[in-house]
Amino acid sequence: MVNVEEIRDYAAGLLEKGEVKSVLGFRRGSASAFAEPCTITNVGEAASLVWDPTCLNNLALYLVKDRKQQAVSKTPDTRPVGIVAKGCDSRAIGVLLQENYFKREDVVVIGVSCEGTGVVDPRKLSAKLKGRTASRVTFAVQGSTSVAGGRTPGATDGADGINVSVYGDETETVIPAREVLADRCLECRAAAPALNDVVFGNTVEARDFNEPFHAAKEAERLSEDERWATWERHFDRCLRCFACRAVCPMCYCPECVVDSTTFVVTLGTSAEEKANRIRWCERSANTSESAVYHLTRAIHLAGRCIDCGECERVCPVNIPLRLLNTKLEKEAFEMFEYQAGHDIEQASLLSSFRDEDPNSFIR
Amino acid sequence: MSNPSQTTEVQDFEPRIVAFLCKWCSSAGSDLAGVSRIQYSANATPITIPCSGSVSPMYILSAFNKGADGVLISGCHPGDCHYMEGNYLARRKLYLVKELLQFIGLESDRFRMSWVSAAEGAKFAEVVDEFVEDLRVLGPQNRLKAER
Repeated sequence: MVNVEEIRDYAAGLLEKGEVKSVLGFRRGSASAFAEPCTITNVGEAASLVWDPTCLNNLALYLVKDRKQQAVSKTPDTRPVGIVAKGCDSRAIGVLLQENYFKREDVVVIGVSCEGTGVVDPRKLSAKLKGRTASRVTFAVQGSTSVAGGRTPGATDGADGINVSVYGDETETVIPAREVLADRCLECRAAAPALNDVVFGNTVEARDFNEPFHAAKEAERLSEDERWATWERHFDRCLRCFACRAVCPMCYCPECVVDSTTFVVTLGTSAEEKANRIRWCERSANTSESAVYHLTRAIHLAGRCIDCGECERVCPVNIPLRLLNTKLEKEAFEMFEYQAGHDIEQASLLSSFRDEDPNSFIR
Repeated sequence: MSNPSQTTEVQDFEPRIVAFLCKWCSSAGSDLAGVSRIQYSANATPITIPCSGSVSPMYILSAFNKGADGVLISGCHPGDCHYMEGNYLARRKLYLVKELLQFIGLESDRFRMSWVSAAEGAKFAEVVDEFVEDLRVLGPQNRLKAER
């Protein structure tokens, strides 16, 4: 069990000693029980940090934003940034370090282990509560699953449960973690941050939820026509709001190849240059263009996606975007023995090869 | 085929293939097929590229988007790359593209890769012929094609 006081003390210590300019973490948000990301810059604010199953965001995104801000600032503050990182967040930092987006000494990773659980999926939680809004969501530790109000059977599914109370009814209900955890947490292979400067919480090896890549394997089982029918529906309802790109810590290119509005135009750019820029993908939100967008994004994240599931969470039309990424993650793992964010010294997936790579598909 | 109208459609259908050929081998191989007067299907539109490793997945997606029925990528045999390792990198990258296209449900026969050296004019003709035959069975590619 992670004691949030330890995280607060550590963050306050870092700020007090002036080792970091700020600490990225979570605080109580204004949207019901859910936590929101925050940047704290002075010791007093450290007390507002929280850690519970509603800390959904991948904070590595804000390291990228900070780096971008530094690049355009005339007087950049280059002191390190502290970051509260779950297992997935720490892998994201690992990939960014591997790509030299920033240096190891620029970041202080305050690792927090998700232990036997993870974060909740807001949609699953809302369905579970039948539309009522949660007022408090906390980790329930196995062994202390005393049933409050006598309503819930003590079943915690062999793993830790999640305590939930709703507005107007402050009795805590223990929901088995399996039923409300985000899909990525159910398939998580490393819930404890491997890359860290300090880590709170224990490393739990045996998490008996789903096997890794469970959802992608299920999707593969469908026939070709069924798969296309599903994906055609998904691509068709894509709005091209680019929320998945905006929330992704790996999508940091200033110019996005599939979005012509991001192409850099300076005073020196001639009309001809603007007209002749190759547009691989139009911005119109129709099935074929959205397919190109999502497939391109999946390929660009091959060997880089660390499965934080943020793209899927922010999608306003519920496209299971994680599937595309985990499919490639699965291939990278099974065929090339490559895991993103595992080793910051290794060569990236697409810039390395082995003699025994699959060759039989080539004539 | 039970439906007669469908049968005629299949017979009339001429698949369009976009072939990305490495300039050091497959492109010369296709040239050799030509100068050797080997008869093979004229459905492939060749695009010469510097190396199979230079193929961006966007080329493939874009070709399908613009209505290609099949995409062929052909490069040098492993170990023969003019740039030492381009075809190894291509192999890894295009394997992932192939898997991804299959995953979303594009027919797996629509994307093909081959190793054809500059001396293998006959093999090039064979690869294209085989590809055209497979595509004839599948019919036109409408899944990723843009409605223009």
